[in-house]
Amino acid sequence: MRSVSSRVKCGRRRRHDPLTCAWLGLLALSLTSALLTLLHSPQLVAAGVLALALIKARVILAQYLDLARRPRWLRGFTMVLTIFSVLIFGLYLV
Amino acid sequence: MNDSSLIDELPGELLMWVLIISELLVFGAGLIAFMGVRLTDPTGFAEAQSHLYRTGAAFNTAVLVTSGYLAAQALHWRRTNFRLKARLALLCAAALGIVFLIIKGVEYTGKAAQGITYETHPFFLFYYLLTGFHAAHVLAGVAVLLLITWRDDPNNIEAGAQFWHMVDLVWIMLFPVIYLLG
Repeated sequence: MRSVSSRVKCGRRRRHDPLTCAWLGLLALSLTSALLTLLHSPQLVAAGVLALALIKARVILAQYLDLARRPRWLRGFTMVLTIFSVLIFGLYLV
Repeated sequence: MNDSSLIDELPGELLMWVLIISELLVFGAGLIAFMGVRLTDPTGFAEAQSHLYRTGAAFNTAVLVTSGYLAAQALHWRRTNFRLKARLALLCAAALGIVFLIIKGVEYTGKAAQGITYETHPFFLFYYLLTGFHAAHVLAGVAVLLLITWRDDPNNIEAGAQFWHMVDLVWIMLFPVIYLLG
């Protein structure tokens, strides 16, 4: 269970809990992903959006699905998703 | 630590994690197959992809992560005895799921108006298959969210929210592959 004491600071002025930090981070990463598509190098865009998707997936697993306190499971999921992303990028480059 | 204690570490019901992992594998296999078929006609796939409604899909990402946030907060609030707040958060999460489906519906209607069907190009076969299957999960997720709003035991909320986060997770991986890798 998350407690009030688990609240952390993720902004300069206001205090937020880890879930709110995760949500704001996910929105920021999604915006960055959209901005990346404006680049002219398709390979760079592909690498960037896949890397950002991987980070977003990790945030969802860690905070929304509460695996942050289960590091072995989080590592396992991250490893499989990383292999998946590398495979997708490899197929894209072929 | 042995294997049973590793499994015991997982939050919530083990069967829900079996479902989450199964769904991720199914969608992952679908996306790998999509990229494999793309090798046969990369130009055709890029051209087909240019017909997609990317802005709507990107907006839908924000809709789903916000909905997931509300579902996760609902569990926290229910466990800390803010029952009404938790129920309202779950209702808002479900409403955002419906917003996602409306935007998806607009996207499909636009394709239909352009005469684009699953037979138009192999790209659209995968597009309809993967996004349609995901939309079906969103629909099921909305029903689950409404159910746990009514039967708001913390264990029910945890299981329902985990299902919803799985739907969110699948979209996060599906969106760049289908919509952005031109």
